[in-house]
Amino acid sequence: MKKLIMGNEAVALGSLKAGMSFFAAYPITPASEIMHFLAKKEDEIEFVHAEDEIASIHLVIGASLAGRKVLTSTSGPGMSLKQEAIGLAHMMEVPLVIVNVQRVGPSTGMPTLPSQGDVLQARYGSHGDYNPIVFYPNSVEECYKYAIEAHNASEESRSPVILLLDGFLGHLSETVDLGNIKINIKPRTLAPLGKGSRHFTGLLSRDGIPLTKDSTYYREWYSKYKKRISDAADNYRFYEYIENKKSKTLLIAYGITSRVILPLKNKYSIFRPIRLFPVLDKELMKISEKYDRIIVIELNDGQYKGEIEKSLKRKVESMPLLGGTLKLKEIEEKLK
Amino acid sequence: MPTTWCPGCSIGTVFKQLASTLSDMSIGKQDLTVVSGIGCSGRAAGYFDVDSVHGTHGRAIPIAEGVKRGNDKLNVIVFSGDGDLSGIGGNHLLHSSRRDINLTVICINNEIYGMTGGQMAPTTKVGIKTLTSPLGNSYNPVNLQGIITSNKRHFYARSSTFQIAHLQKCIKEAIEWDGFAFIDVISYCIENNGRRLGFKSGYEMLEHNKKEFKVNSSPEGRLKDDELGIIKSAEEK
Repeated sequence: MKKLIMGNEAVALGSLKAGMSFFAAYPITPASEIMHFLAKKEDEIEFVHAEDEIASIHLVIGASLAGRKVLTSTSGPGMSLKQEAIGLAHMMEVPLVIVNVQRVGPSTGMPTLPSQGDVLQARYGSHGDYNPIVFYPNSVEECYKYAIEAHNASEESRSPVILLLDGFLGHLSETVDLGNIKINIKPRTLAPLGKGSRHFTGLLSRDGIPLTKDSTYYREWYSKYKKRISDAADNYRFYEYIENKKSKTLLIAYGITSRVILPLKNKYSIFRPIRLFPVLDKELMKISEKYDRIIVIELNDGQYKGEIEKSLKRKVESMPLLGGTLKLKEIEEKLK
Repeated sequence: MPTTWCPGCSIGTVFKQLASTLSDMSIGKQDLTVVSGIGCSGRAAGYFDVDSVHGTHGRAIPIAEGVKRGNDKLNVIVFSGDGDLSGIGGNHLLHSSRRDINLTVICINNEIYGMTGGQMAPTTKVGIKTLTSPLGNSYNPVNLQGIITSNKRHFYARSSTFQIAHLQKCIKEAIEWDGFAFIDVISYCIENNGRRLGFKSGYEMLEHNKKEFKVNSSPEGRLKDDELGIIKSAEEK
């Protein structure tokens, strides 16, 4: 049955569908609706309005270890606060999903205007070498679908998966029939606390014993960790490619930007990554071969353009749209 | 078994008393999780033969609260230090105690940041010279008893690594308490604090604590600065 649903709400619904039963967060524009919606589900899930973003992320880490599928949501400033804990979750192999409904930064920025300025933060925000999986939908239906897939990917990779949205998408209302969407729900892959003698620590460790001076072991651990994430991510190679056979230019966009530029498919080809990280190198390599120009249109100063350039090892152009406003006419002008 | 703690460290004493009490209470592996923070006391979690978590600095309490809410059949014990719990973790101490989550929090209070060499802690007394207060600390220490007892329902116990029987009693009552129970364990750090202050051994510091503190079995209202005991209020939950 079709219903009018908001992006933020769809994320919450998808998460619930995936079996999420513990949610902790802190209010922040433009993500608060996720909290409000889930607060009303207090009879179905454990809901915590925590004292801050840092408490939120640690609460969900604890609850995930205790056996629950968990979710937390925030925007840029809160995402910055969570970085240390994200590293902890990677080191301790804890499945969880973090939603970042992006707004214009840096700092308090423009709380009510959307942006894609936290893309590189999603990839590199925490300290040290780590390899996060990041998804970014572009419709209300996809918010539902990829919230479920984010939980699935987090279980398979045993890592915190980031679901990016932007302020536009979070507040976008569309009529959708969620009943039509059928996705397999992956079960929990982490045995809950109380089952053994495991030690979960942020320190480099082997079988729960900290090994903080063994560089050879670190390399062994890192390569296993990297492979585990990469192997899991392989099952989630999500993207959309709209080919315009006459075009010599490939436009790359994601999130709300990709919705706005859709009419341009009559003139250009469009590649839309849904899994932003790991970068879809194989697909991009194959698809981009025949194009003379590749232009990444994004609501930031060329963040994903840099990643694509690195991956393809060729010149990629950037069209930054800054300040929270997004107009098709402006994009068309710049493309001429 | 060899631990990472220095000879003369008091953490081992508290660890042993906790292990002992858990054993006396027949609390088994499947019913227990220990969560620790960052600091010398943080290494304790890994030494227990149970599922345990060694989290980030200051966030042992929210992790523990998440665990407890995730599965309230588990006895969840936080084992951390004064810097971790009342400094960087102060905000979480305030709110988790206010929410009265059923946790037992054991605070190894040695009035210093030991692991990193001996910098002043929120609990460091006025006048004490540390690596970050070379001329003597000028701030009044944090009032742990005040923070915990500011909640309508509260359990604050103060014990020490000398009064071992009392410590065991506090641990047992804290675990049995149906709510947030905080044990302030007067400890000491010989290597990174005591020596700088002129103590020659851990034993000397232990003797110093023995002289300084007395157990008050029936405190009224609040514990004086030199008293050990339990302050609790069982108002309706």
